[in-house]
Amino acid sequence: MTRSEINRFHNDDLRKRRVGGNRFNSLPLGGEICAHLMVGLFSFLCVFPFAFVIIISFTDEKMLVENGYRLFPEKWSLAAYKYIVSSGEQLLQSYFITIFITIVGTLMGVLMMGMFSYAISRSTFRYKNFFTFMAVFTMLFNGGLVPYYMVCTQLLHLRDTIWALILPLCVNAFYIVVLRTFFKTMVPESVIESAKIDGANELRIFFQIAAPIAKPGIVTIALFLTLGYWNDWFQALLFIENNKLYPVQYMLKKLESSIEFIYMYSGYIDPVKRVEIIASLPTEAVRMAMVVLATGPIIFAYPFFQKYYVRGLTVGAVKE
Amino acid sequence: MKSKVILSIVMVGLLALSIGLAGFGEARAAAKLEPYEIIMYVIGTPQKDLDLVSAELSKYLKEKINTTIKLRQFDWGDEYNQKMQNIIDSGQPFDICFVASWAANFLRNAHNGAFLPLENLIEKYGQEMKAVIHPLFLEGIRMKGHIYAIPNNKELGKQSVWRFNKKYVDKYNIDITKIKTLEDLEPYLKLIKKNESGVIPISADRTFNPYLPFDIIGESRTPYGVYLDTKDYKVINKFEAPETKETLKKMRQFYKAGYIRADVATTIKGDDEKTGKWFVGKCDTQPLADIMWSQTLGYPVVSTPIHEPIVYNESITGSMFAVSVTSQNPERAVMFLNLLNTDPKVRNMIDHGIEGRHYKLVGDGVIELLPEHRDYDMPSFALGNLFLIYRYQQDPPDKWEQFKKFNAQSKKAPTLGFVFDPSPVQTEYAAVCNVADEFNAMLYTGAVDPNVYLQKASKKLKAAGGDKVMAEMQRQIDKWRAENSK
Amino acid sequence: MHNVIRNFKKNKELLFMVLPVTVWLILFSYLPMFGIVIAFKDYKIHKNGFLYSLIYSKWVGLKNFEYLFKTDAWLITRNTILYNIVFIVTGLIFSVTFAILLCEVANRRLAKFYQTTMFLPHFLSWVVVGYFFYGFLSIDKGFFNQILKIMGKEPVLWYSDPSPWPFILIFMNLWKGTGYGSVVYMAAIMGIDKTYYEAAMLDGASKWQQIKHITLPMLKPVMIILTVLALGRIFNSDFGLFYQVPRDSGALYDVTNVIDTFVFRGLRTFSNIGMTAAAGFYQSIMGFLLVLISNYIINKIDSENALF
Repeated sequence: MTRSEINRFHNDDLRKRRVGGNRFNSLPLGGEICAHLMVGLFSFLCVFPFAFVIIISFTDEKMLVENGYRLFPEKWSLAAYKYIVSSGEQLLQSYFITIFITIVGTLMGVLMMGMFSYAISRSTFRYKNFFTFMAVFTMLFNGGLVPYYMVCTQLLHLRDTIWALILPLCVNAFYIVVLRTFFKTMVPESVIESAKIDGANELRIFFQIAAPIAKPGIVTIALFLTLGYWNDWFQALLFIENNKLYPVQYMLKKLESSIEFIYMYSGYIDPVKRVEIIASLPTEAVRMAMVVLATGPIIFAYPFFQKYYVRGLTVGAVKE
Repeated sequence: MKSKVILSIVMVGLLALSIGLAGFGEARAAAKLEPYEIIMYVIGTPQKDLDLVSAELSKYLKEKINTTIKLRQFDWGDEYNQKMQNIIDSGQPFDICFVASWAANFLRNAHNGAFLPLENLIEKYGQEMKAVIHPLFLEGIRMKGHIYAIPNNKELGKQSVWRFNKKYVDKYNIDITKIKTLEDLEPYLKLIKKNESGVIPISADRTFNPYLPFDIIGESRTPYGVYLDTKDYKVINKFEAPETKETLKKMRQFYKAGYIRADVATTIKGDDEKTGKWFVGKCDTQPLADIMWSQTLGYPVVSTPIHEPIVYNESITGSMFAVSVTSQNPERAVMFLNLLNTDPKVRNMIDHGIEGRHYKLVGDGVIELLPEHRDYDMPSFALGNLFLIYRYQQDPPDKWEQFKKFNAQSKKAPTLGFVFDPSPVQTEYAAVCNVADEFNAMLYTGAVDPNVYLQKASKKLKAAGGDKVMAEMQRQIDKWRAENSK
Repeated sequence: MHNVIRNFKKNKELLFMVLPVTVWLILFSYLPMFGIVIAFKDYKIHKNGFLYSLIYSKWVGLKNFEYLFKTDAWLITRNTILYNIVFIVTGLIFSVTFAILLCEVANRRLAKFYQTTMFLPHFLSWVVVGYFFYGFLSIDKGFFNQILKIMGKEPVLWYSDPSPWPFILIFMNLWKGTGYGSVVYMAAIMGIDKTYYEAAMLDGASKWQQIKHITLPMLKPVMIILTVLALGRIFNSDFGLFYQVPRDSGALYDVTNVIDTFVFRGLRTFSNIGMTAAAGFYQSIMGFLLVLISNYIINKIDSENALF
């Protein structure tokens, strides 16, 4: 394949997409209705609990205690959000941390895993099986928490640093294997070979040809990484003592776990203090408001990625 | 042969030298203490002003024992347990941490050697605190003869009470002092059920358990133990005891009559306390608890004891401080703990914060909290000798006297001071705990028929290796009795 | 030796590309792996830190593993494996079906809305889902029992009746995982060369035929890989799903106790790092064997799609 052939490949691609975008190849009407029913029902089941959580977070606490959850509470209230906002800058700071680790971590992860997966997807790479195995093995075996903790704190000195929230999550064998499959199935060997004949090195082929073609795969992994970073609290539980570095999810998790703990072990805690602690625990509405605040923003991330799914199909594979 | 002689001479010489050096070192230490910083982990929701108080406390400690202190605080639950466990397992240096039967895995970590045995250090540097801490605390806490943690001096025993919502007690003119057993309670439950719709007669969640006259060995969720009035220390399965059956039958009857919530075995929340729509509940008490509860809840409650205060192993391991094996200077750690238990200044600073900022003194040992208190609100029961704490204005003047009286009345449980080591039967013990978790909540709350389920539970326990666990308990307890002439 | 150097030189660009992840894997995965020996030790803490503790602890052979094979072991192992098999199969069917449907729905705006909503469950922790689900299943206030009451039927004691729970757990797993799972397949469908469909259309193939003969075969590599990876975790389970959702109800243990919950309950207070490590090692080694076996079989049949 010469460069012009690559261009043709790319042009073909564009043409294909135009065809695909046309409406004449679509489901028959019955099928379409059926699809909407199925997907719509499921989508309702998914949206409903979340909507409920939002409603609870705006419900007056007294109503919650007396009536339980109601779809249409007798009395609405902003108290839960006011309570959280009044607790100061912590939330803002945590948002900042979460957003920072999500962006930096996702970029790092995509870059590192993209290169790795591309390499092990290449049939000419002599050590591809070795490195694939090396990655997959880590998916199945681990040395347990304590040695991991030791390496992170005593060798890498990650304790109480923002890197403790970023580095441990930026590589994941599962994502590597998925990404490898995308490179393997979507990037034709011939395209790469012809680029090599033209003198492009592997790094350049990766960035300029393979990655753009396998964009849906890369976007998927970026999405997974984003969600992973956003939802993570465990690294903070292990390594973070400084509350300036708490991610939002960790605040939520801490709240959930201390509440659960206090009820479970209430018999052991000083009887007077116990009642005091329970009385001072955030109300259910506050907990739900925390859920809303901790997960709300990330919901907007998905449409953002969806945009790239489509764009991945209209932007060319080779920019020359 | 010759070389051996030389070697032994050298060895003797070295030995002599090291003894001399040690003697010298001690003499110097007594003269002047090296500066040292103690790292101490405490439990509770992390407070904003912790560093501030650390610094203020350091100033004072600097004068006293040439020591500074760094307080660190982890939240209740996962945060404390997980973070502490990682710090302990990975051997990170620190000096003191809060431990309890329910926090930082005291039993396991003491057993695995994470904490220093303290009895010698107490003799040397902790005579004053030894004098003030109730002797039962230090007696009961020994594991294989060693003291692995210093208990926080507070109420000794555990006493369960029926706690009533005073509103209904007054309304129906109930003489609560006459109520002890479930039977005593029954007519009133009936009354409430009939007359007060929307009021839950017995407020309970899945942790509810009716009083039973046993002293449980090892983990409280397992059913193995001895009778409280035992003479022969025979280990029994309480699921097979007639008392259990009778009590649980009554609970079943209550459950069926609707005196207790239908899904009690799976509820975990204390909403009742917030609404006030409950009549009675069972909980543990301490002196003046009624007053404190009423204050916190915002409506009056009254209580009546179910049994006399009893000192269980569990009740004295409820709040302690351990010294880590990784401490660079355990002597200093014990000196500090000594102050924490004897010096009101240290004790109140760690508890209430800085005078003039978080609180102000309004009388002799009486304080008023200032608004800044919200940035330093600590769990008193988990921070050393309770009896040194300044009273709040609203507390009765004899607050601590009442605690002392309570302690004097407390009765020792038969196995106090015996600590079960499950390691020889760990496999079975893990399985037994699983079975216990399966049945406890539903049996104790009356959610299932005890006639059927007690048997079921016992059968399953047997299959899980319960007999082996019991035999091991019996073996260890017999050995302990022989050693301590009980 | 000469050959080795030459091979290295020949592959140096690709070797350079695998370097960052390789370093990461060594640091974060392979270095800590020495900890596996804890599973074979009676772990005692040494004052000089973890490495000393590890070295000076006594070897105990397989003693730490024994509790995994006691009494209820058969039940929990069976539960774990059966649930996982059902999860893998239903997960595959649902994810692929929804991915295809979402790609075929003509109204793109609506399709995007569906996709976004299907992701929502992924964001709710099991604790929150547990609370919420309780709102439906609670005996007196629960939504389902209210409906049964209106219909004049007896209320169901959801948390003490094990029979519906296998279905509830399977449903919850699908509910939480389908959105996430279908993304990979959707991306894979996006990547299918559209000329195949064009050609098929010119031949007059119906939509169903196109799906059957183009989409599904093209998705096969992804399906195989994801299934093999899932097999590797067949002895593990999602703790929250099996613990928080059934609210740790004792009456349901027969159908909700899996290896992870069993270990948690058995070691909750008197936890033992050796026994915990043993459980992890047992789960890993079984998963590893399964992956190797399935990979071997795939290699025999269709080596293109094998993992390695």
